[in-house]
Amino acid sequence: MSRYVVSLSLCLCIKWILCGTVSVPKLTELTEDSFARTLRSGKTSFLYFGNQVSPTIGLFLEQLEKSADALQDYGILVAKVNCSKIPVLKYCTNEKVMKKAYLFRGSDLLKTFGTDTVFDVNAIVAHVLFTVLFDEVKSVETQEELRNIERAVKGRADIVLAQLPMLGLPEHRAVMEAAFVYGAKHQFVLTKGGSLERLGIEDPDSPGSHLWFLHCREVLRQSDPCQHTTLKKPLTTLNVYTFLQLMETPLVTEASVDPSDVKTVGSHLHAPLLFLFSQRETLALDRVTAETLGWRLRGEVAVVLIHRDSADVRTPVEYNAAYRLPAEGSVIKYFNLKSIEEVVNLFREDTVQEEEEDIDEDWAVLDVLDDEVVESVYRDRDVELDVGLVTELTSDTFSKAVQESNTAVVLFFVRWDAASLAVMQSFKEVADALEDIADVQLACVDCGEWTDVCSSQLIAAFPTVRMYWSGGLPHTYTGMLGTESLLKYIMLSLAAAPVLLSSSQEVQSFLQGDLFHTQATLSPTRVVGLLSSSQDSGWPMFEGAAQALRGETLLGLFADQQAEQWAKDHNVKLPAILVFRAPDSTIKAHSLQLSSTEQLVSDIQKLLLDTFPELTVENLPLYLELRKPLLLLFLGPEGDEEQGQGLDRRDAREELHRLADTSLLDTYVPCWVHLGRTPAGRAVLESYLGSIPQLPALVLSQLASGGEVFHFPSESPLNSDTVLQWLHRVERKEEQPAGLVLDEKWGPSVPFYDFLSIMDQEVPGYAAQKTPKMTKNMVGEKGSDEEPGHSNRTPSTKKHMPQQEVPTSHQHSEF
Amino acid sequence: SPRIQTDFGLVSLLFCTHRHDYCVLGAGPAGLQMGYFLSQTQRDYIILERNSGPGSFFNVYPRHRKLISINKVYTGRRNPEFNLRHDWNSLLSDRPDLLFKRVSTQLYPRADALPRYLSLFAEELGLRIKYGVDIGKIHVSEPAFHGGHGYRLTDQNGLEYTCGILLVCTGLWVPQEVNFFGSELVEGYESIPVDPEEYRGQAVLILGKGNSAFETAQSILGRASRIHLYSPSPVRLAWQTHYVGDLRAVNNELLDTYQLKSLDGLVEGGLEEIAIVRYDSEERNKSSRRKKHGSVEMKGRGQLYLTLDELLDNQNKTLAFSPMTLPGYHNDNFSLRQPYDRVIRCLGFRFNFSIFEGAASLLHSGMARGRLPAVTAWYEGKGTPGLFVLGTASHSRDYRSSAGGFIHGFRYTIRAVHWILEQRYHNRAWPTTKLQTTQLLSWLLRRVNEASGPYQMFGVLGDIVLLRGSHFEYLEEFPLQALAQFSTLSGHRVTKSGMLVLVMQYGLNRTDTLGSGRAESEWTWAWRSNFLHPVLYYYSTIPTEQEMKHRPAGWPLPRPKAIHHMIEDFLTEWDGPMSHIQPLRRFLEHCLQTDLRAFYAESCFRFSLTYREPPIFCRLGYLKKQGVIGNRKLWQHAREAGLMPTHHDSGTPKEDMSFQNYITKAAASVASGMNFHL
Repeated sequence: MSRYVVSLSLCLCIKWILCGTVSVPKLTELTEDSFARTLRSGKTSFLYFGNQVSPTIGLFLEQLEKSADALQDYGILVAKVNCSKIPVLKYCTNEKVMKKAYLFRGSDLLKTFGTDTVFDVNAIVAHVLFTVLFDEVKSVETQEELRNIERAVKGRADIVLAQLPMLGLPEHRAVMEAAFVYGAKHQFVLTKGGSLERLGIEDPDSPGSHLWFLHCREVLRQSDPCQHTTLKKPLTTLNVYTFLQLMETPLVTEASVDPSDVKTVGSHLHAPLLFLFSQRETLALDRVTAETLGWRLRGEVAVVLIHRDSADVRTPVEYNAAYRLPAEGSVIKYFNLKSIEEVVNLFREDTVQEEEEDIDEDWAVLDVLDDEVVESVYRDRDVELDVGLVTELTSDTFSKAVQESNTAVVLFFVRWDAASLAVMQSFKEVADALEDIADVQLACVDCGEWTDVCSSQLIAAFPTVRMYWSGGLPHTYTGMLGTESLLKYIMLSLAAAPVLLSSSQEVQSFLQGDLFHTQATLSPTRVVGLLSSSQDSGWPMFEGAAQALRGETLLGLFADQQAEQWAKDHNVKLPAILVFRAPDSTIKAHSLQLSSTEQLVSDIQKLLLDTFPELTVENLPLYLELRKPLLLLFLGPEGDEEQGQGLDRRDAREELHRLADTSLLDTYVPCWVHLGRTPAGRAVLESYLGSIPQLPALVLSQLASGGEVFHFPSESPLNSDTVLQWLHRVERKEEQPAGLVLDEKWGPSVPFYDFLSIMDQEVPGYAAQKTPKMTKNMVGEKGSDEEPGHSNRTPSTKKHMPQQEVPTSHQHSEF
Repeated sequence: SPRIQTDFGLVSLLFCTHRHDYCVLGAGPAGLQMGYFLSQTQRDYIILERNSGPGSFFNVYPRHRKLISINKVYTGRRNPEFNLRHDWNSLLSDRPDLLFKRVSTQLYPRADALPRYLSLFAEELGLRIKYGVDIGKIHVSEPAFHGGHGYRLTDQNGLEYTCGILLVCTGLWVPQEVNFFGSELVEGYESIPVDPEEYRGQAVLILGKGNSAFETAQSILGRASRIHLYSPSPVRLAWQTHYVGDLRAVNNELLDTYQLKSLDGLVEGGLEEIAIVRYDSEERNKSSRRKKHGSVEMKGRGQLYLTLDELLDNQNKTLAFSPMTLPGYHNDNFSLRQPYDRVIRCLGFRFNFSIFEGAASLLHSGMARGRLPAVTAWYEGKGTPGLFVLGTASHSRDYRSSAGGFIHGFRYTIRAVHWILEQRYHNRAWPTTKLQTTQLLSWLLRRVNEASGPYQMFGVLGDIVLLRGSHFEYLEEFPLQALAQFSTLSGHRVTKSGMLVLVMQYGLNRTDTLGSGRAESEWTWAWRSNFLHPVLYYYSTIPTEQEMKHRPAGWPLPRPKAIHHMIEDFLTEWDGPMSHIQPLRRFLEHCLQTDLRAFYAESCFRFSLTYREPPIFCRLGYLKKQGVIGNRKLWQHAREAGLMPTHHDSGTPKEDMSFQNYITKAAASVASGMNFHL
């Protein structure tokens, strides 16, 4: 599109200036021949099919006629087809009055409009262009979506953000026309508004149409925000155009000619020009002033710095600035620039005084909590002190409590740690759930007060959850700090580790979940270690592993001659383990090389992983640990899928599941995300692809390597073959990445408050290192500081006048 | 076999000189404190004490038997570390019951309680003390200990002790005297009668304006007729200067009687320039004629006159008295023109330098009028390697600024010196706590809110954080002035990630302690805080000795790369999310160049999938399967604050149900009495 940006913009420009003088041609009526030609040409056309003309349709046709001229500039044909002459089957319906207009690209129908949507010329132009530009102009509803777009374009392009509460109005048309011209250059984003407050962009009091330019192209680091400039004038095509042109001009242009001769981009723009005069000696300073003004007046005024040293400059020396308003034939007015504010006001007299972001305001932002955990806990501060059913332990009660209860689960926390307080809430929920279980006591220790308890327990992180057993070593919980996970951990921990199984029947019932029924319902997996006898050297390793995995899964141990039979039945050799997985009730057997407890634990943990897991917030870390590319199938919540085209959710999942069970996907982690159960997945998908594609969507995320994201084409059928072929193409680098994993460093979230520079500013020298000379002085001062009385003595004067006066130093201090 | 060992021990006791790796001189609070740390690390040490029990100084002093060190038993808190902030008498030990409150619950305890406490401390910890050993001479000795020379101590019986390291904990006990004409007429604080009745109706001139002077004045206030305090410097009030050695309000009743014109007064003047002359009856007769027309009136109530040295010529000095020699003769409204019944010297004490001989001689510090020995920033005598000065005598490092001269201060510096000894002589590095960087904020807040060492030894001892990327190492209570020698003294290195130093400081603006605007509350004004508040210094490399020397005037440390003051707090509780924690977090983020915010697991899930590397909180928590899940209510709060994205379809009721079911199901089945095969 950039090809015709220049010519088109020029022509648009001329048109606007000559507005109204161009004669309007009659609305073209297509003949059978020209209709066929239009469809074949591949050209975009906006057509109305009809035969009878009601008064409403008459009005519509008038507007359509007007739009024909406007849309012609964009290469779009506007015409009508008389159904009585050319009865096109699909579009000439039998209705008496046809109230639809159609937009075609060649013979493809792009969109159908009701005549009440495209009610006038502005609506027609706006909607038609909007449809044509559908792929280029993005719509956002939340600031998060906007951030994703920002992230994607930072360093590459700028964003034109338009807030349009209503579509089809002249503002919409103005933005769409601008998008047509600038769409290839800037990223256009539309929003209905109402959700962008946090950006500090929106003025909540004016829900109307607004337009902002987000300077993202110059942003070098992802963590830096995009600066923005607000269009302060009404959203008209001319204003938007001028505004965008001004955005492209440098902040300050420099010239060595008289203001009247200055030819800058700004001079043919409908924008005021501000001239600042500079000499060689002050050039550097003047440039700073000019740039400051340039920033302040960006989008409103073009700033020109004139080198006064040039002979061409004829401006009287007593003035250092001048301006010219855009009106035709306006004269240059000279004045003396005294302050930046003064100049800014000069151009803003009739515009609303907008609040300027200055440093003070920035620091006010610093008093807003920006940590989600801190903020959410802070909002709950009224209930913070209540620990519910959790027992608060002290130095006096701690030892007794952990010794006397069968199982005590203790949360060590500090009140100033928000994560501790958030976990406390989960902990309280666990306590509620376990209220009636006498065997388990939930307790907490406030390490801010009972520092001695926490020190003696070697607590090195807040929060820490530790389980104390009667007659066993305490076990520090290392799982997710949430109600469900904690509850599961506590419940599973209540089972013996390992569960000693004495017969084949017991093995059977353990695997089926009949033994330890309660725990079995909580644990989707069960593991049975098979050894030939209890004398086996693997026994202590299994015992150790069971302890280590306590609370994570249920581990049974069957050391018996019959174990041989179990192994044989599953085609493995002893020592082996059987892994039972709940959802599909499969039992898989694996032979083991027993080398150490740690190895055994990690082997079991690996075997517990699913081949095609549903990724959730809680289990993602398990699979990321594999450090393989993720093959993610995103499924929408049931009933939320677009019907008809593409994939069926069940099919897609089952296809992939089948594939995952083969070894063909071994280099990937195939998995699926249910956007209903894991709504955070939506944001992930959005970040990957910029928007939510048709669901289900299959995405390959090379998190650990390269960071590229590929999107399985949604129009292709999804089956084993197509997926494998696609993966091969990706491997051979024949696929274009659809997005990127962000490679940003998580730097400080806000600039820090630099006390040193404030000190330097307010009390110069206070924070400065002493120079060696100063040090000498300081030593002197120190000496006198130490013995101030001595410095007050005046022995010499006394010597000469003993009769007259007694030394002042002996005076009562009241004197 | 054990028997042979015992024999050998006995033999060495009988025939060799006494040899120890460590000799601690003096069984006062400092000596016992050092003894405790040496016994903790099982070092070969001995404490030598000339008296028959510990802390004998306190058997005599303070003369009026009221300790002015705060013993706040009821703090409302049970945090033992925090409580040490308000317990100025206890020594440090690992025994929670070995605190001063066991012997006294009075806010200002009786002095007898201190030796009692010290005896308990020594006995219960089984410290090795030899009483009745009065060391009269200290020489450098040849036998080497860990490469340096040692020290030879000789006691009153000529017995010798050879020591590798000598730890001098002898305190200050030699009364400070001033020589002027008539100074023999002056009584000393150490020997004045303490019964107020002895002062009935007397006019008393006290030389000195410190705590002992005021303590003396206070005790006789109801009996003496007139009390004047005379010394070069005006009174310095501890509550104004924040220096506990200045005049404490406990003793300051005389300020009232002075300002309310009730016969008492304070006068400034040099001590070396005065003279005290006696007017006795013999002389009175001699001068009776002169008296009749003399301008100086003698009412005979008192005997001692204060005059100026320069008014006495040599002849007068022999004659000692004539009206001409009195200032009142020359100036009829001279403040101290009336005679006194007693002149008392309350000028404090000095270090006993006399026992150190030859190469073991200690230099005089420029501070405190040379009353104290000069020591390095790690309390080693300047010029006496292997000889350390601890306790009150080590006060030259922070004289008139911090608490190093007092039990509640030097108990911490002694611990620091002990770690330095361990590193230097036993190659045991200063203990550190190694923690994950996500814990840095909490850990600093923990120290800021409870640590007693930096709180008492403000501006002198500071915690050091060695930044190491995803983890850090935390060292407690390092002597700040020795920072340039940090690596040598502590045995730890600073990497390119740099270091933080946590110091407690009073503000520099010490004007109008009770006036309006004495405290700040806006965190951006924290650097103007006047009261004790935490300050963090960030250095990318260890400051050099030059930088230490040229540090900004009044600063404990040189100009850092970045500094953060935490706003002073009325309650000294630095845990406000907005005023204390967030600004601190942002400072740390700047130093570490990383986002230190906490995130719920859901956010970490998002970041882990969309970023090459999620924030450190997610990396060290969530990705290690230890994410903070939170709950619906908390997420809602975060979403309302715009900190977490809202889901288009957040929370289908179905989800709710399943979770609720889950819990109820689990609980119910458990409650129904399953047997758990425990």
